[in-house]
Amino acid sequence: MERIVNDFQLNIATANGTGSQSANLILLHTMFNMGVPVSGKNLFPSNISGLPTWYILRVSDNGYQAPGDRTHIQILMNKATWDDDIANCLPGTLILFNTDVKMPVERDDCNVIGVSMTKMARGLNPKLAKMISNMVYVGLLAEILGLDDSALDAALAQQFKGKARAIELNLQAVDLGRNFVKENVDLDSIPFRIEGRDIDENLFLVEGNEAVALGCHYGGVGLLSWYPITPSSSLAEGIIAYIPELRADENGDHFCAVVQAEDELAAAGMVVGGGWSGIRAMTATSGPGISLMSEFIGLAYFAEVPGVIWDVNRTGPSTGLPTRTQQGDLTMLYEASHGDTTHPVLIPGNMQECFEYGWKAFDVAERLQTLVFGFSDLDLGMNRWACPGFVYPDTPMDRGKVIRTQAELDAIENYGRYRDVDGDGIPYRTLPGSGLDPILYRGTGHDEDGIYSEKPEVYHALMMRLKRKMDNARTWLPQPVLREEDEKEVGIIYYGSMENSIQEIDDILEGEIGRKVSQCRVRSLPLSPVVEQFIRDHETVIVLEINRDGQLYGILRRELPNELIPKMHSAAYSDGMPPRARQYAELIKNVLAEVEE
Amino acid sequence: MTIKLNVIDLPKDDYKGGKSTLCPGCGHDQISNVIINAAWDNGLHPEKLAKMSGIGCSSKTPAYFLGKSHGFNTVHGRMPAVTTGAAMGNRGLTFLAVSGDGDSASIGIGQFIHAVRRNLDMVYVLENNGVYGLTKGQYSATAVKGSKKKKGPANEHQPIDLCKLAINLGCTFVARSFSGSKKQLTALMKAAMSHKGFALIDVISPCVTFNNNDESLRSYTYVKDNDVELHAYDYIPTQTPIESAASPEGEFHDITLFDGSILRLETIGSDHDPSDAMAALNALHKAESEDKHVTGLLYFDPTRATAVEDQCLVETPLSEVDDSNMRPSAATLDTLNARFRGKA
Repeated sequence: MERIVNDFQLNIATANGTGSQSANLILLHTMFNMGVPVSGKNLFPSNISGLPTWYILRVSDNGYQAPGDRTHIQILMNKATWDDDIANCLPGTLILFNTDVKMPVERDDCNVIGVSMTKMARGLNPKLAKMISNMVYVGLLAEILGLDDSALDAALAQQFKGKARAIELNLQAVDLGRNFVKENVDLDSIPFRIEGRDIDENLFLVEGNEAVALGCHYGGVGLLSWYPITPSSSLAEGIIAYIPELRADENGDHFCAVVQAEDELAAAGMVVGGGWSGIRAMTATSGPGISLMSEFIGLAYFAEVPGVIWDVNRTGPSTGLPTRTQQGDLTMLYEASHGDTTHPVLIPGNMQECFEYGWKAFDVAERLQTLVFGFSDLDLGMNRWACPGFVYPDTPMDRGKVIRTQAELDAIENYGRYRDVDGDGIPYRTLPGSGLDPILYRGTGHDEDGIYSEKPEVYHALMMRLKRKMDNARTWLPQPVLREEDEKEVGIIYYGSMENSIQEIDDILEGEIGRKVSQCRVRSLPLSPVVEQFIRDHETVIVLEINRDGQLYGILRRELPNELIPKMHSAAYSDGMPPRARQYAELIKNVLAEVEE
Repeated sequence: MTIKLNVIDLPKDDYKGGKSTLCPGCGHDQISNVIINAAWDNGLHPEKLAKMSGIGCSSKTPAYFLGKSHGFNTVHGRMPAVTTGAAMGNRGLTFLAVSGDGDSASIGIGQFIHAVRRNLDMVYVLENNGVYGLTKGQYSATAVKGSKKKKGPANEHQPIDLCKLAINLGCTFVARSFSGSKKQLTALMKAAMSHKGFALIDVISPCVTFNNNDESLRSYTYVKDNDVELHAYDYIPTQTPIESAASPEGEFHDITLFDGSILRLETIGSDHDPSDAMAALNALHKAESEDKHVTGLLYFDPTRATAVEDQCLVETPLSEVDDSNMRPSAATLDTLNARFRGKA
């Protein structure tokens, strides 16, 4: 049988809370340790124990990281989804199932192997049988696919943090799986193999939430206020976990406060209070939290108080699908709160950028004296991605226009808290405790000195200055990443976690319809002028995003000159799943077919 | 003419604010004056004070006092959160907050509760009149059952008593007062400013426009005639030797506050022990059942750690820490990268 090497997909169906996550991460890390491009997607329920969970492992020498068109190897452990999981298998699938579930597998068109995984595990340790039965399928796969022992050992050591007894027990379970294959399986009947590749010593796997959390520390975060919500909790907990190591003085006293707030409204209020006092304050949340925080977001915009909110987007609206991914919050972040508002949004597409924007968001917030959003999503935040290493900030902290001494204050002619003395739309501020030109900050209308005002010309001038301030940022916020083809026929605009699917989409388009498309990955709002130029330079432009309504497309339509609108098209789709290349490639093909008609 | 200066050589003008825009005769303006006098008398540094408020008539008042202090007139009911954030950022500030009964007992009751729970170090002046003034006289959640404002039917709902709530939550300083009792309110205000922890002063402050009629249990006349005082108070500042303070004729006992000043409690009628939470709740329930208002220091507990003390922060206010101490070194990131790569 012809071998299929490093180009297939596994789907592991288990129940939540059975310890399968450890087994799946060990598989992921073992392959990664062999230098094989691999990605893992954890599809978990909003539940602690008992509901169905799937783990999708995509192995691809091409580096494709999104879930592919089909499953090649299906592991069946969960009775609840048994029939559906079997029905989803295409002919030729290798099915490894736990016979102790006592459910039938009737698929003559698939290669079906039943293994008594729970009984095997019970022989090792009756109490932990359920947990370590998962390690039996790791052993089966290790033997079938040809996983290196040393890579597996390293993954086990990492997963169990060097705990000898746990490692030994799990290794025994792996061996049971390996031995079963050696004794009972004809490997020639199975085409799938893993082969080691050149190992990039710099590369490691990390979750986006942890990358952002570390970035925040290197941005000097002084206050984290937060309210637990999936999928952002691990971002906040990541920040907390690193405080003793990164943010304590020689006495063990901390440079970062943490308040678990009573709700998201309070979390946002604490960010505003922290920013007002002169520290770098932040919170992490998801869409429902942003909805609640909106009043304070408007206050921060209008009173010009710096702060950072990380939104790890989950599927909305309302409670939605709490453990699924989406780019459905973009418009809300850009315009959150009542009245005319605009907020900068930083949009990382990989682990390095998660880290970078973790610290950079504070620079932007303090420079602009406004609230800045980091925009991640569940896929980026809670799955593990390859990272070549985090890069130390290349610029000092930008604390913005803060007057700290009387001499500095005296040097400014005609100072007023909200007066644009430099012509860049950004005024100077003084801090509480300084005694320098104190004012009563307010969310009500105010003049250039911060005094309450309802005068039409004062309000209008203030609102136009705030707009100017944001518009000026378009050229220095993180600029788009362009990959342009010579043809300049079709341009794709996309952002965020779609980065992990774009190469495969590009290959599908070139392979199936012979189209070479240019790409523009947007990394911030308000949009850079580079995006407009990209649109001008291409005949047809398609905006690709993981939501229903085409939210970035909508922002572009509103902000671009009218003459560019006819060449703009939206390819938006969302079903809660991470973006599958096939899905979006077909949308793009449809748009192109319509354009050519 | 020499200008009278306080213990830090500042004139009282340095503690004043802008002109009030509240209705003439509003009890809130009397409270503002008490705040000015208390802060001046206590010798607080205006630049180290932060004035905080939410939304409503009461929350407008920080514009009318302490013009040399930074302040933040935030959003409705959410001032405690902003104060919490600012306290984390600058532990060297003294927070003086003004809120109202709509702000604290309805929209912001959750934030009030949690600020008390954390023992946030702040003076929380609740200017309590039983009505929403700025929206023209709707009943608030503290309106007494059976009380009737100037227009419309009587209030049929059970009131929320924030003093009872605060005592049950373990608030470290709970007082009720009356905007018309200048001497008592001034002593309690000074004591609250000298307290470390959350100090609630629920000040009954009649709304002269919407809730000062004869049928109201919050009218100026009604409160004045039905005020049951727990003690008479004398605040003895740190710089005054205790021996030189005038001794009252009757029984008294002293409470030592965080900054070393003393609040002297002179017994009136049956004595009240402010360390006894049950006695405080009893006093409140008894007064309520008799349609009376009990005023004075209800409860006091100087032992709890504050929200900032619970944090294990460096002594220097974080807002004053040098950037080089806020950003970890490049070497630490090298260590982390190596660890992620499995080489450390």
